[in-house]
Amino acid sequence: MCADDSVTSAPDRDSPPVKEPVLVCTDVAYRYLGRFTALAGVSLAVAAGEKVALLGANGCGKSTLLKILDGLIFPDRGSYTAFGQPITEDTLDDEQMNRAFRSRVGFVFQNSDAQVFSPTVRDEIAFGPLQLGLDRTQAARRVDDILRLLAIEDLADRAPFQLSGGQKKRVAIGTVLAMNPLLLLFDEPTAALDPRTAEWLTELIEDLAKAGKTIVLATHNLDALNRLADRCLVLGEDHTVLVDGPPRDILTDRDLLIEANLIHPKTQLPVYDPSEPDSSGA
Amino acid sequence: MTATTPPTPPAAVAPDWLLNREAALCPCGCIGKRRKGSHIEKTLTGAAQLLRQVMFSEDTAAQPGMLQRLDARVKLVTVSGLLVAGAFLHTIAALLVLYAGTLMLAACSGLPVGFFVKRVWLFVPIFTGIVLIPATLSVITGGEVIVPLWHWHGHVEGITRQGVLSALLVVCRVASSISLVVLLTLTTPWTRLLAALRTLGVPRMFVLIVGMAYRYVFLLLGSVTDMYEARKARTVGAEKPDAAARRFVFAAAGALIGKSMALSEEVHQAMVSRGYRGDAKVLAQRAVSRMDVVFAAAMAMFGAALLIGEHFVVR
Repeated sequence: MCADDSVTSAPDRDSPPVKEPVLVCTDVAYRYLGRFTALAGVSLAVAAGEKVALLGANGCGKSTLLKILDGLIFPDRGSYTAFGQPITEDTLDDEQMNRAFRSRVGFVFQNSDAQVFSPTVRDEIAFGPLQLGLDRTQAARRVDDILRLLAIEDLADRAPFQLSGGQKKRVAIGTVLAMNPLLLLFDEPTAALDPRTAEWLTELIEDLAKAGKTIVLATHNLDALNRLADRCLVLGEDHTVLVDGPPRDILTDRDLLIEANLIHPKTQLPVYDPSEPDSSGA
Repeated sequence: MTATTPPTPPAAVAPDWLLNREAALCPCGCIGKRRKGSHIEKTLTGAAQLLRQVMFSEDTAAQPGMLQRLDARVKLVTVSGLLVAGAFLHTIAALLVLYAGTLMLAACSGLPVGFFVKRVWLFVPIFTGIVLIPATLSVITGGEVIVPLWHWHGHVEGITRQGVLSALLVVCRVASSISLVVLLTLTTPWTRLLAALRTLGVPRMFVLIVGMAYRYVFLLLGSVTDMYEARKARTVGAEKPDAAARRFVFAAAGALIGKSMALSEEVHQAMVSRGYRGDAKVLAQRAVSRMDVVFAAAMAMFGAALLIGEHFVVR
């Protein structure tokens, strides 16, 4: 599993380089308890360095798709490959493959309480690097760097139950960044955050993308969609992909947004003003 | 990129009763009977108090005192040693010296001595009262009766000097032991104390599980409080300990188990996502400093002095 270099030279010298997909899902289906459909034939390809947003109403399968992309659950039907390797229960049983995959893919859960389980913030951030084989000195150095980066040095020795929602989210992101993954998965990153924390997180995701990280996130936040993604995948309430396109196209298609239950017919908010071409940021 | 607009479902119509006002308060303005809170409320209040106490002890553990600066492992081993020494002391005077030592340590660690004493003596009657009150009587511990209480076949029965001395010995031993434990818990964050348990040979996985249980008990306690408050907000009149209350407790317990199962699965996924494969690795604790060694040596000498001193005094 060594497909870090995912940019290949294009056959035509004038055309831009074609990026190979790092994640490929083909006709993925998943049902909880064998009865409740979460995904019904979803196909997706994510190229290195892309920012992809998964949009859709509650219960359409966004979180399930993210868990499949992180190799936490496995599809009932269809296939999933990451960095050119099939991701299945069997392949992840291989220690080398597991370590390679886990070190490349980081997942920020929607529920920070599930992700922040260690006795202190310092232990929490060190958990990932230590599991992946870094020695204690290196792990401790990474912890200090992450605490400084996220401006949470004062929380280092605090217990997670003493933290606010925003602080927990920062710590949860820190735990993933400490592993320095190539690809970051965010489940509803700005949900239930105050505006300042949400803006901080949006800027962080932008910075990570600029640094070359691949981002896949599930979100309802249409306001910041232009900044959070350069491609959107809209999942319908029938658990299939309705549309795959750039944010500008998605945000200007009011009928699509209503069909996907992303806005209501009575919603007055002009999500995107086509008279201002730069407003999408695309 | 095309999408057809689905037909908008008809708007739900509110039923008539929802649109009409209902009398909320008794029109005569009476305030009704006042009753004491239910046992559920008391339990939840108690749990919330425990939470606050833990928070408070975390505050004292973060103060810049003498014991707070020491390594948790050194404190744990030292306190364990002093507890063993206390168990071998047989005179009230020696136990009082040990207790006075704990008070001095509390003062040096910036703990309010009044609060420390209260915290210790709150537990002493619980551990000793039930056992010791009968032990002071002549029917249990024979000897010189100093407080006559009744007569039995011509003999004076009551509280004996030997019984009182035995009870005082036990009280002093319990007080000094609890003081040592309270001193340790007030000056050490719970998380470090748990990690320090590994020095006593407690397996890493056990420490990890206990730590996680401690971390999530607060979260689940919050869920229980929310459930109870949601019920209370919809309860008219006084709560009664009837079948409905029992059903609520059972339903809440069931919901809580469901929530904790879902949470545990998600926590496991979060661990697996970060490379966990059954062997949790943790950051090493800091090295033991010279101050730790000096403290351990001083406490060892104190414990030895108590044991040896008592031995010579008694002889």
